[in-house]
Amino acid sequence: MVETIGRDGVVRMLRGAVEKIRAGHETLSKLDSVIGDGDHGTTMVRAMGLVEKTVTACAAPDLQGLLHDVGWAVMGVDGGAAGPLLGSLLMGMAEGVGGRQQLDAAGLAAVFEAGLAQVRTYTQAQVGDKTMLDALVPAVEALRAAAQAGQGVAAAMARAADAAERGAAATTDLQARFGRARNLGERSRGFADPGATSVSLIFRGFADALAPPC
Amino acid sequence: MAMKKFVNKPEDLVKELLEGYALAFPQKVKLAGSNLVVRARPKAAGKVGVVTLGGSGHEPALSGFVGEGMLDISVAGEIFAAPGPPRVLEALKMADRGAGVLFIVLNHAGDVMSAKVVMEMVKKQDLAVKMMLTHEDIAGGPRNKPDNRRGLVGCVPVMKVAGAAAEAGKSLDQCLAIAERMSNNMATLAVAMGPATHPSTGQALFTLADDEMEIGLGQHGEPGTGSMKIKTADATADAMLGRLLGDLQVKKGEQLLVLLNGAGATTLMELFIVYRRAAQVLKEKGIVLAAGAVDEFLTVQEMAGFQMCIVRMDKELLELWNAPCDTPYLTVR
Repeated sequence: MVETIGRDGVVRMLRGAVEKIRAGHETLSKLDSVIGDGDHGTTMVRAMGLVEKTVTACAAPDLQGLLHDVGWAVMGVDGGAAGPLLGSLLMGMAEGVGGRQQLDAAGLAAVFEAGLAQVRTYTQAQVGDKTMLDALVPAVEALRAAAQAGQGVAAAMARAADAAERGAAATTDLQARFGRARNLGERSRGFADPGATSVSLIFRGFADALAPPC
Repeated sequence: MAMKKFVNKPEDLVKELLEGYALAFPQKVKLAGSNLVVRARPKAAGKVGVVTLGGSGHEPALSGFVGEGMLDISVAGEIFAAPGPPRVLEALKMADRGAGVLFIVLNHAGDVMSAKVVMEMVKKQDLAVKMMLTHEDIAGGPRNKPDNRRGLVGCVPVMKVAGAAAEAGKSLDQCLAIAERMSNNMATLAVAMGPATHPSTGQALFTLADDEMEIGLGQHGEPGTGSMKIKTADATADAMLGRLLGDLQVKKGEQLLVLLNGAGATTLMELFIVYRRAAQVLKEKGIVLAAGAVDEFLTVQEMAGFQMCIVRMDKELLELWNAPCDTPYLTVR
């Protein structure tokens, strides 16, 4: 059981997310072609390219510096709301981590909570509005619940990924109330939200990267 | 169906279009920093900078209006997608000539999100930046709920008067007040007859039957007030102008700017025929057509349709509208 993770572990998590998004980008674009303009997959692939590049090049020796640099890079993706939202998640996590270099499950939950709080300063969207928050909020809550139940980092992250997937799947029946898809009204039902699906892929990537080899 | 567009690799679209644009107008604009479109000659020190951001694929908007008397910098994003905060912050710093920067943002989810993040950073870095939103699409909701109203072509006349005020040496607060006054006296409505194709995904942004049009459709095919059988130019002008005049509650004797913006596939011929009718209607109602413009300002690829924008003008706004400017796609001498 992985009890704590440090900079190396977070780098592995980020690389795991990159891998999952790259594998799933066609699904994301297909979903976006129903309620958006079909470019969410390519936007996310560009964002993950920036994550990979930054993770490789980042000179900051500490967790805060790493998360800040990756967040700032994702902000610069030039792909509408996705960059600012994911970027602010990471930059909020950077603020939340402070000077800590090792995180246990509770610490990791706190860092994600700080990231979520930062996201909330830029969007009024709530769970149920068919946005990325439909996956992000349950994932962070599951992380906290698993930590409180005494689970280790890897197990807690697996619970978070499960919750994100359930949250993303549940957006299928919802009507969009934020972003460009809001204008579609009733026509936005019937397909999962691309942003929420991206977040579920990212969390699955985090979880897989921390999972012990079997 | 294969996409019929002259493009190279989809991922290079924006880079290549900005390069070509700068090469086409070297006397007026150039690329600087992280692919920012800036004036060829920077504004004199001590004057307010004017900056905007927005997705690409809407040419000549928004970079077409960078130049003396209008914008100092345009930050172009990806196709139909806002640029991220880092490049916008870079632009705001670069545009500050010591008198602060007016930051004009169209009300679209991605643009506003990026702008909000930037404004948080502006606060931390103690930069003198004032942001204003344009939201004049009357199809989006009632006038008292501006957040639901999208920013359409009305951003262009706002940039024109704000840019003229900045060039005249007015303060940041004065420039903001002028831009807000213009924005508050503005109403726009769009009509579509056929969809645009996303130039990198090849996907049509919406569908309309061959014999149908839709009033109120947004820039990217966001639904309007329902499709209807195609009407004549006069009937379309009457329907749209009637709603715009009602929304702004324009009274007899007031002065209006009327701007028609072709969406891409609709010809100037059609736009002139519509404009002619709009002018007739205003004359019948005793409303003064004080200024006008008919052109492609903000397109959506090969979308068929146009936007009709009206602005209630006063003496100062008219002077600023008529003040000289020298940009690639709007020139006043």
